[in-house]
Amino acid sequence: MTARTFATIDDLQAGLLDASYLADRGLASVLFLALKLEKPLLLEGEAGVGKTEAAKAMARVLPARLIRLQCYEGLDVAHAVYEWNYSRQLLHIRAAQEGTVSEAELFGPEFLIRRPLLEAIESDEPVVLLIDEIDRADDEFEAFLLEVLSDFQITVPEIGTIQAVRRPVVILTSNRTRELHDALKRRALFHWIDHPSLEREVEIVRLRVPGVPERLALQAAAFVQGLRRLDLEKPPGVAETIDWAQALAALGSHELDPDLVESTLGSVLKHHEDLQAVRDAALADLLEEARVAAG
Amino acid sequence: MPQASGVVSHVVTFGRVLRQAGLEVGPNRIADGLSGLDQVDLTRQDDVYWTLRANFVTRREELEIFDRAFQAWFLRAPVSPLGLSPPTPRGAVLRRAHAGGRPDDAAGDDESPKARGWSYEEILRTKDFGAMTSDEFDRARALIADIAAERPRRRSRRLRRHHRGRELDLRRTIRESLGAGGDPVHRQYRLRARVPRKLVVLCDVSGSMEAYVRPLLLFVHAVRGSGKGVEAFAFGTRLTRLTRALETSDTDRALQDAARSVADWCGGTRIGASLKTYNDDWGRRALTRGAVVVIASDGWEREESGAGLLEEQMARLSRQAYTVVWVNPLKGHPGYEPLAAGMRAALPHVDRFLPGHNLASLERLGEVLMGIERRHAA
Repeated sequence: MTARTFATIDDLQAGLLDASYLADRGLASVLFLALKLEKPLLLEGEAGVGKTEAAKAMARVLPARLIRLQCYEGLDVAHAVYEWNYSRQLLHIRAAQEGTVSEAELFGPEFLIRRPLLEAIESDEPVVLLIDEIDRADDEFEAFLLEVLSDFQITVPEIGTIQAVRRPVVILTSNRTRELHDALKRRALFHWIDHPSLEREVEIVRLRVPGVPERLALQAAAFVQGLRRLDLEKPPGVAETIDWAQALAALGSHELDPDLVESTLGSVLKHHEDLQAVRDAALADLLEEARVAAG
Repeated sequence: MPQASGVVSHVVTFGRVLRQAGLEVGPNRIADGLSGLDQVDLTRQDDVYWTLRANFVTRREELEIFDRAFQAWFLRAPVSPLGLSPPTPRGAVLRRAHAGGRPDDAAGDDESPKARGWSYEEILRTKDFGAMTSDEFDRARALIADIAAERPRRRSRRLRRHHRGRELDLRRTIRESLGAGGDPVHRQYRLRARVPRKLVVLCDVSGSMEAYVRPLLLFVHAVRGSGKGVEAFAFGTRLTRLTRALETSDTDRALQDAARSVADWCGGTRIGASLKTYNDDWGRRALTRGAVVVIASDGWEREESGAGLLEEQMARLSRQAYTVVWVNPLKGHPGYEPLAAGMRAALPHVDRFLPGHNLASLERLGEVLMGIERRHAA
């Protein structure tokens, strides 16, 4: 399997659109550069602006296998790179009974459990490696990752060094819960994704929720944009707008009204305090604004 | 490189402009930017913009500087000078200690504090920072660095070998038992390592705090020397992150960089609004969770309805923080009562309320930070 190549940024942007992902010129440009320069891309932005989705869309458009490494505090090599399958090794020794088992046999590839990083390096088909929420992993892991990303090779002491057959497209995302190492940032292209403008958000909704009435898409997007201007614990992202539009369309609505908003707002706002605040104060105004925006 | 040399020199000069504005654009970045430009359409301005931006910018805060520099350099648009704000008056405040102080010093200035004797140091320890001469302040600086060498600690989940540990270190025990024919004669133990707890310092830099800001920032700078996990912010009418400015080990430069990055040095105060910005932008990203938060301010909220907001934001902060310490230089004055509306609103959410007006009180602050062992310990 070979991945598609893209001659220009426009080509890639069009390809992403075919894969149901509406990337603006800036994002399309950095994704294009990441492909051409074979450099990792670090995407930052508020929650829900489509960082993870961008990686998935890249995998669809290339096409390539998406391998995802979800980071968390305490993530270690055994969960990110590889681990020996101890129980299988023990069984193997048992099964051999009287026969002898050599160490080389016991620590061979068939007893290796491959975790996302090793899998991405070893793969001979095109891969998009998504390293999600890198800011949640520990410093030490970040340092290790830096090593992998500079040489695209992994050393398993018992087996040797495994070099990437082809460099995966690497996309890292961060919510900025902490500052990343400069060294890692130096190695990567950087892009900040903002919340989309109203027009773009309407386009995204219509792309992702086929058959949604145009007026409803516009009102829902305008309403969510209004919510983002409020002072909420967790402002809704594009993902929430899509979820909401899906729910609204499924209910067969053509237009927002107070009851409808009231009963479906839970798919947009996920914090109790936020729901309360909007219900108590801003709902009527936002609805009015959204209706005006929809003309 | 296939590009015309014109492009190369253009980008190199642009890199220099960015460096002056505070971005780290080294030769590698320049080379990356140029190879990026190889791939795109040079006649398209937005292609050039996105390519250079992805290569030269590494954090959101730098986007504005980059945009202005790009406008000024590539589009030749008239823009305000680069960098965050004009440095002159604020830099001058910091330099006063050196420039202004020296001439009126008599001969024999080289005498060390030690040579002047214990009593001199003792007087210095209890003298209000606001009343110090610049010479005295220079001497106080050295002492501040000593005070602030330690930080509160927390138990890590990681285990280290320890002879009084609680958990049996099986791997080590078994390895050692090989010499004894498999009998675990010497048992090995492990204990949870103690690592520095996160420390967040929010320092009021409004006019009324002027005399105390420098010593407090010196204190923070010295604490930073103790390792990672120290975050510093300044606030007056708005919040500014100082962590990066204080990164350099050169104290003078750190203070100057800090002063330069703060747009409202010695201006008014909106404590509630600043805390809100902190909670929204940083607290939400879990910076506060598990941290010891130190707020240094006299509690004078200039905003009229500010006390309500301050109370609300302090409650939010206190819910997430491990311990909240408030340092108020006014508390060092005899007969001080927390009458300022802002201070009164904040106090219910403060675990430790300390003065910070002289060396002795900073010493106390250091001790308190070291001694924090329990959540919200008063």
